[in-house]
Amino acid sequence: MSETLPYLSVVVPVASRADDLADVYSVFSKAVAAVAPDYEFVFVFDGSATTPDESFLKLAQHDSRIRVYELSHTFGETGALRTGIAESRGEIILTLPAYFQVVPGAVAPLLAALVPDVDIVVTKREPRHDPRLNRLQTRVFHALVRWVTGTEFGDIACGVRALRRPAAELLPLYGDLHRFLPAFARQQGLHVVEVALEQHPKDSRMRVYRPGTYVRRILDVFTVLFLLKFTEKPLRFFGLVALWFLGAGVAITSVLAVQRLAGVGIANRPLLLLGVLLIALGVQIAGLGLIGEIVVHWQAGDRGLYRIKRPHGNARSTPPPAAQSTTPRVQSQPPH
Amino acid sequence: MNPIHISVIVPVFNEEESVPLLTEAVRTSLEGSAGTWELVFVDDGSTDRTTSMVQLEIADDSRVRLVQLARNRGQTPAMMAGFREARGDVIVSMDGDLQNDPKDIPALVAKLEEGYDLVAGWRMRRQDKLLTRKVPSWIANRLIARITGIPIRDNGCSLKAYRKTLLDRVTLYSEMHRFIPAIAALHGARIAQIPVRHHPRRFGKSKYGLGRTYRVLADLVTLRMLSRFRERPLLGFAWTAFGALAVGGAFGAAWLVALLQFREEKASALVFPAAAIIWLATAVFLLMLGLVAETIVRHTQQRRANDTPLTRRMHGNDHS
Repeated sequence: MSETLPYLSVVVPVASRADDLADVYSVFSKAVAAVAPDYEFVFVFDGSATTPDESFLKLAQHDSRIRVYELSHTFGETGALRTGIAESRGEIILTLPAYFQVVPGAVAPLLAALVPDVDIVVTKREPRHDPRLNRLQTRVFHALVRWVTGTEFGDIACGVRALRRPAAELLPLYGDLHRFLPAFARQQGLHVVEVALEQHPKDSRMRVYRPGTYVRRILDVFTVLFLLKFTEKPLRFFGLVALWFLGAGVAITSVLAVQRLAGVGIANRPLLLLGVLLIALGVQIAGLGLIGEIVVHWQAGDRGLYRIKRPHGNARSTPPPAAQSTTPRVQSQPPH
Repeated sequence: MNPIHISVIVPVFNEEESVPLLTEAVRTSLEGSAGTWELVFVDDGSTDRTTSMVQLEIADDSRVRLVQLARNRGQTPAMMAGFREARGDVIVSMDGDLQNDPKDIPALVAKLEEGYDLVAGWRMRRQDKLLTRKVPSWIANRLIARITGIPIRDNGCSLKAYRKTLLDRVTLYSEMHRFIPAIAALHGARIAQIPVRHHPRRFGKSKYGLGRTYRVLADLVTLRMLSRFRERPLLGFAWTAFGALAVGGAFGAAWLVALLQFREEKASALVFPAAAIIWLATAVFLLMLGLVAETIVRHTQQRRANDTPLTRRMHGNDHS
């Protein structure tokens, strides 16, 4: 089945966490070679966060299948991933973390799951060898992620994925969004499937993070919620928030107005200030939503709006709307 | 091959029964027309046999085409896919549920050729449920007409004809298919309306309901803003800021009056100066937002040279 696999690029973003890369390479290149005879490894070092050590560079010099890039400064794992995808040449891209996340034997089933109709295969580490506490963390986090994104992915941030090149190039890869890649891929209309692959024993250390990390993750989830649901229609979101503020403000001020009419003095009630402030905030938030709408209106393009699976019939699918002329179009019309 | 004159775009989602009837009706309706035509089904991720039904029609008639979307994306993206794939210089959109009648296409196209960029149909004697479909739609149409200033009688009718030159400069996203005439008007389109037939639903269920009120209202606010301040957002924000300034000024004036009248207990009340400050700050904030919006428009316009208003040549030789 896999003898006919086209050229395969393995992209390895090397950010803060890394095992011995020579080790990673030798183990996974064997696994890859077993299913895809034609492959390359693209290592992207994330600026000053990590630098390739001497022995690894020596290895890379002697192996024509390895290419190494180093970002000019630290861009984070997403930046490294984006660079790796851009610099790789394969029709199929396999992304691997710079450490052992799944067992090498997982490569074959992962690639096998990339059947013709599928654009992206993502991994769920299962069975997991993590300590109980970590598994609990993961479970809670993913319950939140599933609720927010409306997807069923069980290990959304896992770095082991197989992507077709056109799909990979369609993905929004900036900030920390690589963690939610499957959800964004879905939003783009890509066909994403998840396969369960065994976790590597080395991946299963006890991990307790600093509180800041947890805060960042939760913030990430809400960024994603906003980006997934409201990027096209920011006013629907800001408008809702603004309505809550306006509603609360109007409610407070009208209660006070009634009291005033009943003869109770309200001029020194802090509650009145709160009411006024809430109304003003509502107006400001609605204004922000309108800014969002202006951005969307002016920036909206056809890219990513729809994806054609297959044209049928007497059809060449036209290329996406071509360069538009820079001169005003003139329509014929007899002079009046 | 002759250049295609009319492209009929039909987004379909699970309409297996309708496809053959619709194809036949379009064929009958356009058989007598002068130019060549094509019928483009856009399959918005159907899960029934819609795709194979269309393929049967393709085998039968090479003027039928199918654009299959990778996933179900909703009506606007499906229509956009059809618009972009269409090869005709006149594009007609219609629903795939047989409620529109292809017999009306020649009339729409004829009207378009009188010199319009968009001809919208409005459904005579609409055959839908009164309370959940017709009444909301009547309110929505009045509201849309009021807000956008484009008096379209029936925004919900998909049966419309467009010039390709218009559609080339319009990008519809989200659920903007409801407001195509208003958006077209932003680009300077000349719009006409003609009555069209409407039939009751024959197969399947309606895919609409009432749950979209808030979204439609939010979109309408956006459209209102765009139709008035698309090119000059600062102006819109400045007007709002002016309103905030007026409210703040009123509170400030009340405070001053209290001071001048030496009404100790009123002048020392916190609420007047504080409310004045809040509203003045809001005015400043809104003005700054206006500047941000202005920056966005300026930068985008430099990249989008195609966004010129639709024009027509009134004088001189016509080479186009």
